[in-house]
Amino acid sequence: MLGEDDDVFDSVTWESPSAPTYDAGPSAPTGPGFRQSTAESEPGHGPHDPKWEGYLITSVKDPVKELADTKDAYVSYLVSAKTNLPIFSTPNPSARRRFQDFVFLRNHLSKDFPACVVPPLPDKHRLEYVTGDRFSPEFMERRRADLHRFLQRLSRHPTLQRSTLLRAFFESTEWHVTMHQHVAHPPGPEHTTGVIDSISDTLLNAFSRVRKPDERFLAMREGVDKFEEGIVLTERLWSRIRNRTNDGTLEPGEDLTGDYHDMAVAVQGLGFLESGITDPLNHFSNTLLEFSALLRHTTQTTTDPFLIHLHSLLQYSHANRAVLKLRDQKQMDFEELSDYLSGVTSERDRSYLKDRVDALRGADDDRSRVEKMRKLDAKIKELQDAVQTAHETSDAFSDETLREQTVFQYAKEAEMKEMLGNLADGQMEFYKAAMDEWDRIIPIIQRIRVDV
Amino acid sequence: MDPYETENPFEEDTDRVQSEASSAYRVNLSAPSSPPSQSSRIPSSPSLGSASRPAFPSSGSHRQPQAYKSDFCCTRDQWLHSGEEVEIITDALKTSVNSSSTYITYVIKSGTAEAQHRYSEFESLRTSLARLYPTLIIPPIPSKQTIGDYAVKQAKAKEDAAMIARRKRMLQTFLNRIARHPILSNEHVFHRFLDGEVSWTEVLHSPPLSLLPTNILKAPSHNPTDQNASPGYTALPNPSATHALRRPDQRFLDSEVFTNKFAAHLSGPMEKVTRRTMKRWSDSSHDHAELGAALNGFSLNESGQLSSAIEKTGQAVDATYMSTTLLLQELEQNWAEPLHEYTQFATIIKKLLVYRHQKHVQYEMTQENLEAKREQLEELEKSEHAARRLEEALGRGRTSADSPRTEDGTPSSGDNSRADTGYLPPHPGPNPVRRRAPGMGFLSALSYTLHGMMDVDPATARRNAISKAREQISLLEDALHLSAQDLKYSSSTIQADLDRFQRQKVADIREMAISMAKSHRDWCKKNLEAWEEAKREVEKIPDHPNRMLEEIVEDSGGVANGSRESTSTIDGH
Repeated sequence: MLGEDDDVFDSVTWESPSAPTYDAGPSAPTGPGFRQSTAESEPGHGPHDPKWEGYLITSVKDPVKELADTKDAYVSYLVSAKTNLPIFSTPNPSARRRFQDFVFLRNHLSKDFPACVVPPLPDKHRLEYVTGDRFSPEFMERRRADLHRFLQRLSRHPTLQRSTLLRAFFESTEWHVTMHQHVAHPPGPEHTTGVIDSISDTLLNAFSRVRKPDERFLAMREGVDKFEEGIVLTERLWSRIRNRTNDGTLEPGEDLTGDYHDMAVAVQGLGFLESGITDPLNHFSNTLLEFSALLRHTTQTTTDPFLIHLHSLLQYSHANRAVLKLRDQKQMDFEELSDYLSGVTSERDRSYLKDRVDALRGADDDRSRVEKMRKLDAKIKELQDAVQTAHETSDAFSDETLREQTVFQYAKEAEMKEMLGNLADGQMEFYKAAMDEWDRIIPIIQRIRVDV
Repeated sequence: MDPYETENPFEEDTDRVQSEASSAYRVNLSAPSSPPSQSSRIPSSPSLGSASRPAFPSSGSHRQPQAYKSDFCCTRDQWLHSGEEVEIITDALKTSVNSSSTYITYVIKSGTAEAQHRYSEFESLRTSLARLYPTLIIPPIPSKQTIGDYAVKQAKAKEDAAMIARRKRMLQTFLNRIARHPILSNEHVFHRFLDGEVSWTEVLHSPPLSLLPTNILKAPSHNPTDQNASPGYTALPNPSATHALRRPDQRFLDSEVFTNKFAAHLSGPMEKVTRRTMKRWSDSSHDHAELGAALNGFSLNESGQLSSAIEKTGQAVDATYMSTTLLLQELEQNWAEPLHEYTQFATIIKKLLVYRHQKHVQYEMTQENLEAKREQLEELEKSEHAARRLEEALGRGRTSADSPRTEDGTPSSGDNSRADTGYLPPHPGPNPVRRRAPGMGFLSALSYTLHGMMDVDPATARRNAISKAREQISLLEDALHLSAQDLKYSSSTIQADLDRFQRQKVADIREMAISMAKSHRDWCKKNLEAWEEAKREVEKIPDHPNRMLEEIVEDSGGVANGSRESTSTIDGH
């Protein structure tokens, strides 16, 4: 494991890993998350166009209950990938990981890459834990699908797909060691607690707004708002339809599934009364029952996964929104610092002027006044550096955010394609099956011979 | 009830009604005995109100030609029995003819004739037919609005478009059921109703309807208006419907039990579940309309291929809304309405069975009465006989005791001789006791006491009673005979009509089931097409850049890109 430290530090090194060109801003480590863009401007590629170095296709499979029958029982999942990225040492890495490992991966990626939209993980605290049924096949499968989507989102991100931590997640045979080292030596320098932090803390409050709003980001923000609005509304309405179709219980309930079940029973009852057509009516009753079962089936295999995906996409978009917000904060840092600087500068200028006036008057050149001036100058110098840094941070973050939005757009489109495609497939499957079912019954009923 | 229809103003509804009627007409002309072909039934573009309707009563799988008839009572009769498939068409019209306020009138087209009748006239026709033919199953008409409906909708209730459309459909079914009925279709009252040449009031006030007796139980079953009906009918009792029979007919007991079960099943599980299902579909179609609009709005905020994919998905949802609305209409017309009609039929048959029951009770009661009368007569005759013997004995005793009195010159021989000849005075005359002179002997006193104990004039009264009993017995014998005939007639007619009804019911259930299956099938088909189109558009969204190139896919042996893989896992789940 020699050189592991180095590996961690310059994991995604397409830029010189050491000697940052400027001081890190508050909570803005020099991860490649926002440094990359300043360096990357290849011909044929706009400065904000993301670029994929290769592919990484991931999958989460085969949940297995480990240490069963002990109180430390947990579920492990087989994570595997196919890739041609040079950072990976094998094209088919795979490992078994548990949910906690995913949590670690996510937390550290989001810390290391603040400008990247790191996808969220499904909520750990769910009812299944309370009822103690987190080892049920349904729960494990649901979580597997969630984790699968999480890794898929990571692997689709041009920066994150090349992060050392993700590589280690797939490749490391000693993941515990990796985790430990990563915590001990994060890829960015320690946060510098300097003047900026204290100033920022005092100046920034929750109500402050960006004073010179950037049109591009306003539009972006609006786009995100509308997208989320669309998702939320769709989710709400579709859930309503879902609950009318099948309320999720296996028992016939207050839904269409239950209605058709009850109608099947009623038609069967009619068949008992009408002795001459008992048989065809029983067939008809079966068709109604089958239709009820199809409604339930399509709810479980199409509607529910669709709704889960929709919700997950909404949370992914929340993560995207958080990055946009962080960018605003960087800009505000810069704006507030600039204000502060200009305040201090004007104060010094006034003092200077006063000095000069006093000097002309031949007044006493107090040593304390000189000291004060010196102090002010030093502060100005410090602030100028800070403003410079904040400016660069803000600009870099803005550039990175623009690029990130494009990345997210790609991810969004791909997911919408998958989501809507699955939905359409499921609907088509349902309607086809139901159509066959109804088609089958028509000739059976038509065969009833009756003279009027 | 369909909320879309209720929102329609009436004027629009008339158009809709007309188009519906004409489509039903076309369907029945083109395919009389087999289910209508798919293409003619389903409009190419889904639109509200174009729901198709296989006409009820269903003609079943094999329609029998109507019995040959040559003596027609009128042109309507000739048209109805022309041997061709006849269909009476109704239409709803808003009018204010002869009235200060507007009302709905139903235009009836039967062949070349056209008549207009209000709902109340249909109701009157039905009641009249039910009284004219107490042994036949007169088809139901749509039930009256409940007072609750009026209270809720108030003035609007009369113009409730959906209600009018439903009434129109059910009234049409009612007329066609009569037109196809082997007996009812020959009724001239019905022909006059269709002809519309005279007002319904006039028909009501002319024979045969004006001749209907107030109590049809005391009139012949086969023709309650028969003016030459035997007076024996007046001797028939008027039994209550709950009067128990001593020797019930098992066949009709079974019929009663079955009808009760059938009514309970139809109005219970069948109708309730149907209403619930339709309510749910209606809510669901609303949701789809909303969702379709939401997705359309969603697509406007996105760009490129994603936008059109979302738009097409929204259109698929819209298509579901449209198809569900149509499905709802068809369910209402071809499932819910016939179901309700059969619930009404069950009530009608119950009443019919009650009529037969009452007829049977009449027969049994008449029989009992007759027996009682005969017993009474026997008693009377017995006591008459005994009295005569006593009389004779007394007469003998008196003759011997009275002999000296005769010598008194009392002209009593006339009296005696009259008594001896057995002369019966037609009316109780002046009290003969009076005529007996005072100062009668011991025997007279005894006779007097005896007479006083029995009656004022026992012999006369008894003789009157005997003659009355004989009269009544002969009347009851007549009545019993008539009652037996009536019972036999109603039993066989009711049984025959029940058999006919059963066949019609099976044919209608067959039609209902077929129509329901077809409506659902078409619903699936339309939605399938819409989703297929959406899927094609979704497919056009470019894939994510993070994917294996084609040649690599081939190298690595069939593992497709990420999205495909996850598709399979989701489907597998």
